[in-house]
Amino acid sequence: MKGTAAGRPRRGKNLPLLLMLLPIYLTTLLLVAGPLVYMLLLSFLTRAEGWGVHYVFTLDNYLKILQPVYLNTFVQSLKLALLCTTLIALIGYPFGYFMAKLPPKWRGLFSFLLILPFWTSSLMRLYGWMIIFRANGILDKLLMAASLTAEPLRLLYTYPAVAVGMVYVLTPFMIYSVYSSAEKLDWGLVEAARDLGATPLQAFFTISFKLTLPGLLSGVVLTFIPSMGLFFIADILGGNKVVLVGSVIQEQLLKTRNWPFAAALSVVLMLLTTLLIYLYRRITKVRDLEGLI
Amino acid sequence: MKKILSLLLLLTLGLALLAGCTPKTDGGGDGDGEPAPPTRLNLYTWEGMFPSEVLAEFEQRTGIAVNYANFDYGENMLTKLQAVNGGEYDLVIADDYIIEMAIAQGLAQPLDKAQLSNYGNINPLYQGQFYDPGDLYTVPYGAGVQTIVYNPAAVTKPIAGYADLWDASLKGMLGVVGNFRVINGMALKVLGQSYNTEDLVQIRAAGDKLLELAPNIRLIKDDNLQDDLVMGEINAAVMYTSQVTMAKLAMPELEVVYPAEGIGFGIMAGFIPSQAPSAEAAHLFLNYLLEPEVAAQCFEWLGYYCTTEAAEPYIAEEFRSFLTLPEGFSLEMEMIQNIGTEAMDLHAEIFTEFKTACGQ
Repeated sequence: MKGTAAGRPRRGKNLPLLLMLLPIYLTTLLLVAGPLVYMLLLSFLTRAEGWGVHYVFTLDNYLKILQPVYLNTFVQSLKLALLCTTLIALIGYPFGYFMAKLPPKWRGLFSFLLILPFWTSSLMRLYGWMIIFRANGILDKLLMAASLTAEPLRLLYTYPAVAVGMVYVLTPFMIYSVYSSAEKLDWGLVEAARDLGATPLQAFFTISFKLTLPGLLSGVVLTFIPSMGLFFIADILGGNKVVLVGSVIQEQLLKTRNWPFAAALSVVLMLLTTLLIYLYRRITKVRDLEGLI
Repeated sequence: MKKILSLLLLLTLGLALLAGCTPKTDGGGDGDGEPAPPTRLNLYTWEGMFPSEVLAEFEQRTGIAVNYANFDYGENMLTKLQAVNGGEYDLVIADDYIIEMAIAQGLAQPLDKAQLSNYGNINPLYQGQFYDPGDLYTVPYGAGVQTIVYNPAAVTKPIAGYADLWDASLKGMLGVVGNFRVINGMALKVLGQSYNTEDLVQIRAAGDKLLELAPNIRLIKDDNLQDDLVMGEINAAVMYTSQVTMAKLAMPELEVVYPAEGIGFGIMAGFIPSQAPSAEAAHLFLNYLLEPEVAAQCFEWLGYYCTTEAAEPYIAEEFRSFLTLPEGFSLEMEMIQNIGTEAMDLHAEIFTEFKTACGQ
C-alpha cells in the first residue's frame, strides 16, 4: 500500500483510498486491539469479592502463575504441544511434499479431500473419535476380532486419545503449509543437484528440505500454538484429566470468576505465541506464515 | 471507472455497518404506564428448561408470545444482565449462587405476590434459603442434590457414602461432575467439614485428601455423564439429579445413594430483572408454572426435584422416586453457597491439582 501512496504524492487523490481503508482500520482497532488492551489492563487489576474487579493495580496475578500448580499446566501444555507437533510434522511433511509432486489433476482432488472434513464442525468429528475409542467401540471390536487384543483397551479418556484428536484436527494445517512451500520449489534445482552427482537423499536435504523449511516451520507455528489452547479436545477425549492452559483460563473465567488471573494467563500465553512467531521470522526470514497467505 | 467502483463499495460497506445500528424495537411493553396487556415474555434461561407443550399452552391461554433466549453459564447471564442494566428480559431462571449476586447488584425486582395466587404451592423446604432469605425476589424452579450412582453388577463393595469412593477396588472406574465446589466439597464432607468452610487449612486438607482419590477417577465432565455410566465406560459416578434421572430411566438396575456424610444441594429459581419490560408477563408465567398440573409436567421433563409441593400428587408413579425426596428423609442437607475469594481461589487451585493428578 505504501508503494501506491508514494507513487501519487498529491493528497487529494489519496482520500478515496484512505476512506476505503478506514473501515478496516476501525474494525481492527475496535475488534482486535480493543479487547487486547482490555485484557492487558484487566490482568493488572484486583478481583472483587464475589463479582467483577476493583481498579487497584497489582502484580499478584502474574506472581500467581509462578505457583507450581499453574506453572505445571504450562509445562504440561508445552509437552503435549511438542508431542503433537512432532507427530504432525512426521505425518504432514511427507504428505504435503509428495502432494506437490502429484500431477495437477490429482493435486486438486487431494486438496478437496483435505478440506472436506472442515465442512463438519470439529466437535462433531471429535464425537466420531469418541465412538471409535469407546470401550467395546469400533476399534476394540476390530482389534478383538483380529485377536490382537483380548479385552477392551479403554482408550477413551486417556492421554493417547487426546494426542490422536489433536493430530487429527491440526494435521491439515501442516500439510497445506508444506504443500504451498513445495509447490513453489524449482524442481530444476533438484535435477541439477542429481546431475552433479548428489544422491537422492543429499539432493533432498541440501535443496528440497532447505527450500521447504519455511513451510515446515510455518506448519509448526500453526499447529504448536493451537495445540496449547485447544482445550476442548483435551476435555472431550481426555475426560478433563489433561489440564491445558486453555482449560485453566476457562475455569478461572467462568467458574472461579477470577477474571484478572484469567487475563494474566492469557497474556502470558500470547507472549509465548509471539515469541514463537518471532523465532519463526528470525530463522526463515519470511514475514508471513507460509500456507496462510 | 475504478473510482466509481471503489466509492460504490465504500457505500455498501458503510450501509452494512449502519444496518447494525438501527434502533431495536422491543416487543414488550414500553413502561409508559399505559396498562396495555403484555404481548410478549422475554425469558432468559438455559436451553431446554420447559417442555414445548407447557410453553404453547401458556401462549394459547394468555396470548403472550414466549421469546426464549438461552445462556450456557450463569456467569454469562449475569454479565449480559449487567450490560443491559437489568432490562431486556422479563424473567430469568438460573442457579441460586448467581441469583444471590444478581440481587446484591440490584438487578432483580421484588415479586408482587398479589399477582401470584399459586405462591402457596411452593415446598417450604426450598424457601428462605441463603440467596433470598426473605423470599422477596424468587420462585424456586427445581432443586438438585448430588448423589452417587453405581452399577451394582460391576462394583464389588456396596457404596454407602463419599468415603467409599476412595476404595482401591474402584480404580479407574469413577466418573465425577466438573464442578469444583461439588467435588472438593465431597472431600470436605469426608473430613467432616462444611461445603462452605472458608478455613483455608481445611480446604487445603480436602485438596490433599482429593489427591488420594485421583487413581480411581476415569472421567471428569459436566455434560451427559450418565451416558458413560450406562455404556459401561465408568461403573460409579457422582452426578446431578437430572443426570441421575436419565441414567435410572435408561438402566433401572443402577443403585442411587444419598451419601451418608450428608448431601449438598442447589436450587434453580426464577427472578424478574429490575428493569424488565413486562413484569406483568413474568408474574403471569411464574404463576402458571406454579399450577400443580403444569409443574408436574415440567419436573417430569426437567428431571430435577420438584419444588412445587402441590404438584407431587400429579407426578407419574415412574418418576416419583426421582423427583421427590424419600419419605422420612433425615440426612443433613447443605446448600453450596458463595464463599470469599481467597477460599474460592484455593478451591480452584486444589481442583486443578486434582485434575492434573488424575491424568498422571
